[in-house]
Amino acid sequence: MSLQNLVMSLQRYWADQGCYLAQPYDLEVGAGTMTPDTFFRVLDRRPWRVAYVQPSRRPADGRYGENPHRVQKHYQYQVIVKPSPPDIQALYIDSLTSLGIDLAVHDLRFDEDDWESPTIGAWGVGWQVVLDGLEITQFTYFQQAGGIELFPIPVEITYGLERLEMFLEEKDNLYDLDWSADVSYRELRLREEKEFSEYNFNQADIENLRQSFALAEGEATRLIDKGLLLPAYDMCLKCSHLFNLLDARGAISVTERVKTIGRIRAMVNLIARKYCDREGVS
Amino acid sequence: MEFLLEIFTEEMPSSHIKAGLAQLKERLGRTLQVSRIDCPLLETFGTCRRLVVVGDFGSRQKDSEVVVVGPPRDVAFAADGSPTPAARGFAKSQNVSLESLEVLKTPKGEYVGFKRTSHGQATGEILSEALPGIISSLSFPKMMRWGNVNFRFSRPVRNILALWDGRVLPFSIHGIASNDRVRGHKLRSPQSFRVKSIREYQAGLKRNKVILSAEDRKRLILGQIRRRLGALKAQIFPDDALLEKLAYDVEFPYVFRGDFPREYLRLPLEVLSAAMREGQSLFSVVRESRQLPLFLGVADTLNDPKRLIRRGNERVLKARLEDARFFWEQDLKMPLAQRAGELKHVVFQEKLGSYEDKRVRLRLMAAYFCDRLDENKLKKEAVQAADLCKVDLLTEMVREFPGLQGIVGGLYAKEEGYPPAVCQAVYEHYRPVGFEDSLPSSLAGALLSLSDKIDSIVGAVGIGIRVTGSSDSFGLRRQANGVCRIILARKLNLALAPLLERAVSAYGDILKRPKHEIVEDVRILVEQRLRFIYESQGYRYDLVGAVLGAGFDNIYHSHLRLKALDALKKRRHFEPFILMARRVNNILRDSPSYPVNEDLLADQEEKDLWSTLAIVSDHALPLIRAGDFAEAQNLIFRLQPSLNAFFDKVLVMAEDKALRRNRLGLLARIRQLLLLIADWSQIVIEGERKETPA
Repeated sequence: MSLQNLVMSLQRYWADQGCYLAQPYDLEVGAGTMTPDTFFRVLDRRPWRVAYVQPSRRPADGRYGENPHRVQKHYQYQVIVKPSPPDIQALYIDSLTSLGIDLAVHDLRFDEDDWESPTIGAWGVGWQVVLDGLEITQFTYFQQAGGIELFPIPVEITYGLERLEMFLEEKDNLYDLDWSADVSYRELRLREEKEFSEYNFNQADIENLRQSFALAEGEATRLIDKGLLLPAYDMCLKCSHLFNLLDARGAISVTERVKTIGRIRAMVNLIARKYCDREGVS
Repeated sequence: MEFLLEIFTEEMPSSHIKAGLAQLKERLGRTLQVSRIDCPLLETFGTCRRLVVVGDFGSRQKDSEVVVVGPPRDVAFAADGSPTPAARGFAKSQNVSLESLEVLKTPKGEYVGFKRTSHGQATGEILSEALPGIISSLSFPKMMRWGNVNFRFSRPVRNILALWDGRVLPFSIHGIASNDRVRGHKLRSPQSFRVKSIREYQAGLKRNKVILSAEDRKRLILGQIRRRLGALKAQIFPDDALLEKLAYDVEFPYVFRGDFPREYLRLPLEVLSAAMREGQSLFSVVRESRQLPLFLGVADTLNDPKRLIRRGNERVLKARLEDARFFWEQDLKMPLAQRAGELKHVVFQEKLGSYEDKRVRLRLMAAYFCDRLDENKLKKEAVQAADLCKVDLLTEMVREFPGLQGIVGGLYAKEEGYPPAVCQAVYEHYRPVGFEDSLPSSLAGALLSLSDKIDSIVGAVGIGIRVTGSSDSFGLRRQANGVCRIILARKLNLALAPLLERAVSAYGDILKRPKHEIVEDVRILVEQRLRFIYESQGYRYDLVGAVLGAGFDNIYHSHLRLKALDALKKRRHFEPFILMARRVNNILRDSPSYPVNEDLLADQEEKDLWSTLAIVSDHALPLIRAGDFAEAQNLIFRLQPSLNAFFDKVLVMAEDKALRRNRLGLLARIRQLLLLIADWSQIVIEGERKETPA
């Protein structure tokens, strides 16, 4: 099964579970969790079911295309179901079966791994799902986002698409994966990894990044005051990515790191609070 | 009658399972006890998906007599003994006849009332009522909610099975109604089935690929490991924590073996084991302390007929080892000494500065220890180790495997050709990490570990971080425990107070609390740890209290005194010794230590006592300084005959003030000497009860 078939199978499966299929968000994010389709929709009390592919950027994970597993951009398949249904683990297991994985001959484990994202004031409880030793999914019951205690509780299932595909194709190197029958992951992504690694680690201009950060931060504050919460949140996402780039450039000291993340979180928490006020969530 | 409870959940961490089972047992046991229900059997079992209680309880509560108290006697009966309206009213309201009223003596005086036999309730009813409260009161290291149920637990609860005497014990918690259904192994036998008894439950689980007892699972794992490795004459690299975790993570263990390419054997054993343990939970395999190119894993399954589990794990491990090798080679490109410059960017604690600051303090402390212990030859190496020991926090390897901190530094130092003592000290300076962990094997390692731990403790206490109940975020208890264990094991003859003062001064003016407060708080922490260590070694609590009560500034000597006192306990003169000390204490009370004027010694007995005391002191004090407390005790006991004669013949509380003070002064000298061994007043003589402190 190629990577694109894997995506199509998951789309079909989760659409059948009543999920709305969103398109990837058009900003750089570190994880599918950060996009508005997850972040805002978990805050209110309404039921919500969504699934989407989200390209996720982690500049410091770049390896110039030389490491068979680490990349500065990878693809997540993100599922949110709120409230989490009682049979959600079984549904997830079925999704693997629907990919043709015969679990009777494999070892599938739910291994304690609580998740948190200090940048967006979020944490949850759950597991990394490990298949024959390979971590293929992060499975989390959200407890808090934007500093807000959540209820009802959403479950987040994040498949690592490259990892899962490596399992399906029994390959050791992600660049060897088949994106489609004719196009390999290498053809599509290797050049990008090389160039972005060079940019992230060596070329990104630190002063410019700092200025961009300050601009985005200023905009976020201004937009929060105007009550334009979605644009304000976009600005926070930009801050988060610019911060990650600065970090990859080694331009952030440990104390500065904690403080900067704290500043972004404070804005995100404010946005979440205003959103809840507006939605009538106390 | 039979009781069975199974709380069926999604996968819980092993620490949660143990916490949950302990609380279930304790709370259910207490409920039964309070309800006066017999309980010949109450046992718990757990897997990552089940908290199980099995019991055999009496069918109903025992009958009990209830005393109903009414009005005071003089209100209920007139002077002539006839009942007043108060008595009538009380009898009527309680639905009893006037004749059945009797006089009850209570601490508040005489009252009128009666006794009534209360017939016990059926156990099933009591359990139905109590269980929802017990289950929802369980607390776990981290709690969560799920779905739209307002109920916090370790992980989502998916079913509750409850049987009493062969039937469903009905109750419900947040919409989950108890029933008689069980589910088997998650993937191998997921269907549910019904049970009527503990026997059916156990048989059903077995048939459906669940091993209920953690001990059984552990035994199975170890047995399979032996079978896999027997022919190779190899062992797993011992890792009890991993074994324990795996025994709870799987419901049906299957041990598989895998290989990895020999080229990775160039990595040290420590790195290889960490790469196997973290993420994949694999055991590394050694023969004669050398890593073999293979590993063992524990799968939650029956077998691996197509070797898919093995091959999958091999692939993942190879990638991890490749990463580890990359980190190893990258890290070695920059010498530790050069990397050390970056320590100023790594925060030790926000208010306590960077690891560069800590490095400077550790140099001072390591040098101080060597001076105090006359280890001049070791000084250069200990200080060099202090310089290097935190540098590995900046390496890729420690970032990837935080559990290897220190160890990796020691390995890199070795690669760079530092003296073996330096490498060893860096390698083991975090030890002991846990309460049971092994101690540093070298003296330099021990001194560096002490320096590091004391520096952290003093710093944390100095900025007001406290240990309260279960909260000990800075690990102060654990570190203080390490300090005590190292000093005791190494028999280090050191005074604690100056050591702590030195550690406080090393911080300059960073610590805001006054020096004496910090030292005092740390001393209290140390005292608690020593008490814990000694009591868990099996020493009697009152002897421990007596020894610590006489001081523990010299930690090692406190242990020697305890051993001497414990040996004395079995000897004939144990009780006479205590009585002697008590007699001295009783007469002195809070009397100050008046000076003794030899010219005022009047009676022969007090002159004798004075000269005996002089001889005993002269001989005992050097023994005490040298730590020979058993011999010192023997000597001090020789005071007894003179002291008895003194008490028999001499009136301490003489009319004459000068005489009286002189005699009290003499006794105070004896008390001082006795206190060098123990605070004898804390020792309980068999047959006596220790007075509970007010």
